[in-house]
Amino acid sequence: MNAPIIDPLQGDFPEVIEEYLEHGVIKCVAFNHRGSLLAAGCADGSCVIWDFETRGIAKVLRDNDCAAAITSVSWSKYGHRLLVSAADKSLTLWDVSTGDKIARTTLQQTPLHARLNPGLSSPSLCLACPLSSAPMIVDFEIGCTTLLPVCVPEMPDVLAPPQRSKCAESGPPFSPAAACFNKCGDLVYVGNAKGEILIVDYKSVRVLALVPVSGGSAVKNIVFSRDGKYLLTNSHDRIIRIYENLLPAKDVLRSLEDLGKNVDGVDGVEKMKTVGSKCLTLFREFQDLVTKMHWKAPCFSGDGEWVVGGSACKGEHKIYIWDRAGHLVKILEGPKEALIDLAWHPVHPVIVSVSLTGLVYIWAKDYTENWSAFAPDFKELEENEEYVEREDEFDLMPETGKVKVSSVNEDEEVDIETVEKDAFSDSDMSVEELRYLPAEPIPDTNEEQDELKLIEARISASPASEEAVQNGHVTDLVSSPQGEMGETRGKRKRKPSEKAMELQAEKAKASKASGRTVREKSRAVGDQEIDESVNGGGDDDDDAYY
Amino acid sequence: MAEEAAYIPYVHCQTLNSHGHALSSVKFSSDGRLLASASGDQTIRTYAINLKGDPIAEPAQVFTGHDSGISDVAFSTDARFIASASDDKTLKLWDVETGSLIKTLHGHTNYVFCVNFNPQSNMIASGSFDETVRIWDVTTGKCLKVLPAHSDPVTAVDFNRDGSLIVSSSYDGLCRIWDSGTGHCVKTLMDDENPPVSFVRFSPNGKFILVGTLDNTLRLWNISSAKYIKTYTGHANSQYSVSSAFSVTNGKRIVSGSEDNCVYMWELNSRKLLQKLEGHTEPVMSVACHPTENLIASGSLDKSIRIWAQEN
Repeated sequence: MNAPIIDPLQGDFPEVIEEYLEHGVIKCVAFNHRGSLLAAGCADGSCVIWDFETRGIAKVLRDNDCAAAITSVSWSKYGHRLLVSAADKSLTLWDVSTGDKIARTTLQQTPLHARLNPGLSSPSLCLACPLSSAPMIVDFEIGCTTLLPVCVPEMPDVLAPPQRSKCAESGPPFSPAAACFNKCGDLVYVGNAKGEILIVDYKSVRVLALVPVSGGSAVKNIVFSRDGKYLLTNSHDRIIRIYENLLPAKDVLRSLEDLGKNVDGVDGVEKMKTVGSKCLTLFREFQDLVTKMHWKAPCFSGDGEWVVGGSACKGEHKIYIWDRAGHLVKILEGPKEALIDLAWHPVHPVIVSVSLTGLVYIWAKDYTENWSAFAPDFKELEENEEYVEREDEFDLMPETGKVKVSSVNEDEEVDIETVEKDAFSDSDMSVEELRYLPAEPIPDTNEEQDELKLIEARISASPASEEAVQNGHVTDLVSSPQGEMGETRGKRKRKPSEKAMELQAEKAKASKASGRTVREKSRAVGDQEIDESVNGGGDDDDDAYY
Repeated sequence: MAEEAAYIPYVHCQTLNSHGHALSSVKFSSDGRLLASASGDQTIRTYAINLKGDPIAEPAQVFTGHDSGISDVAFSTDARFIASASDDKTLKLWDVETGSLIKTLHGHTNYVFCVNFNPQSNMIASGSFDETVRIWDVTTGKCLKVLPAHSDPVTAVDFNRDGSLIVSSSYDGLCRIWDSGTGHCVKTLMDDENPPVSFVRFSPNGKFILVGTLDNTLRLWNISSAKYIKTYTGHANSQYSVSSAFSVTNGKRIVSGSEDNCVYMWELNSRKLLQKLEGHTEPVMSVACHPTENLIASGSLDKSIRIWAQEN
């Protein structure tokens, strides 16, 4: 509903690091359906959920049985459940609003990637991709795991595409495979080590179609766009490929069956390939021709317009953004730490990247102030315009009885109640989405009240500012997820000199004695903030306007 | 077009005299079970609303702790917390059930005049005489953003129904709309003449704002076109920050307090004055409409709250 007034040109792609979130060492991140909550898995086995609007921690899911690093997190479609896979070979299903564990299983190998079925509102079915065996479907309710086929059983050499010598390293014994659900969750797309995409019906455990990826090198990641129209594969030959999904959104299984029936004359693998060619067509290829780097965690933007991929080189934190037509539009460079995970916000032009040090960086647009928003009669010009006066501009006109005629027809009907359907709600809203976790205010303690008084005393004691307001933006919000004032303050504040300490002690006595009057007198009390962005002395105008 | 049913007048059914000083604000919770009132006597009181009962409103809790008079109070969406804005430059967050103080929000440098929760109730917006609007995180109590909103005291702040926008009004004559996530100004609404704006709020669908100005006029502005489309007059408002509300439970109406001691009700589309509720002996500062029932609460400088319901 605010679409008409928000500038459409601002919905692009991010440019700078806005801030970072910290909670232990983060390993992987995932946004919920709306991007209002960000779930992150830590190296100590706990899972933290941030309220992305306030950038504060909303919940921490801690399992005492699991102390191994989390390898992936995945939300259910409406955000009620969270699937967490960990390095101790376990998969845990959590209920987000209560914070309780729903189910937990242990697999044979550590699952690198686990995804909940996106088609069901309360899924207990998930797809897990372990490092060294075939992807499997795990059903928590029944408690069984089903291995999915990774290759089409047939004469191997005759029909398989020729292997490039580079790919010999990804040898057959391990056959790692990447897999993902399609948008409605009734098919699984598996990308195998031979460079093929298999479309599998997991209920009947049958391969329905096969699409060979040109070049035939192992597929490392396979991801759908949010609307299910495009598929992305990241291959070992350092190329990201975009495929267009030709299958319809609904009733996919039936369409596939029909396609299969319509193909005559060929059988086995050839038949699958023919069907496959009707399911996916290659749209674009992205690679960095200069550095030929490997890509990590490629994915689509929320609207599918942009493709983003992180560079897998150690020691650099680079994020490449392409538009769907294939042009590289931006390279985001972060601090010199390797990138391990990436996620694009489903709605806003915001990217979240996880670095090797465990910090979560939030990238957003660099905002330039829109001055015409402050005064409607401002006109912003790109460059200087020569102003030409009217002939009668400065003439003195006799007062011609200015009567303001209201050109508004006040009798028109006004509707204050109907709301347009939300642009971001897909399919039916029969199930209520979990968008927010209720905020639980942390009660003030008595210590905090005393510390506040000390801060005021300090402010009046040392006029030289402790922290410039400009830094305040990033440092401000670093302290926010912690919530522990004392500890973060200790990290950030400069130690006051001895003279300042004496002054402070004196003032503290004085302030306790005279109470409110001291506070009101000292101008610098302006910002009685509990955190750092304090400007001692100086103009009132400088007060924390960021 | 809906037919105009015969207008059933509201009648006075209860007077609450619990406060010791003038009332500044009355609000219903979004589930309609509670009424909160804020007063110059430095307390906030809540009342349980029992629609079948007699009296309708029973005093429930008293919240003490502010050092100065209180200008505004707001319920969180689940009615578990209330936030109050006071002349002691702080906002306080209270637990509704127990009446205890949870948090104090420091940061404003002058009287805090208005406060509201966002629909998700994870953020609070407050406007102050220090000419800024501050956005606070409910969980930690930290000030997330300081918006350099106006050049005169900020008289009202309100969130739209999905919490993405904040509207703020001020004595400088402007209403500004802000993006609550980034804190950037999205639009400024002003006319050729800029009388001080004493009150503003979003319509239920967030497309319009109801603006009260100190020239005895209420206007309904269309945000996208930045023009006002309805004007309501007849009441008196030239000194105080009198609040107004949308009444949608029984026909679309605008309800407002007035400095001539009455509560005014207009029909939204035709702008016709439907009723003047008389009874208070001093200017009516604040009105609130019950979310589901045909009930109006009004708070006045005469230290009383009156409850009005439709006779049936």
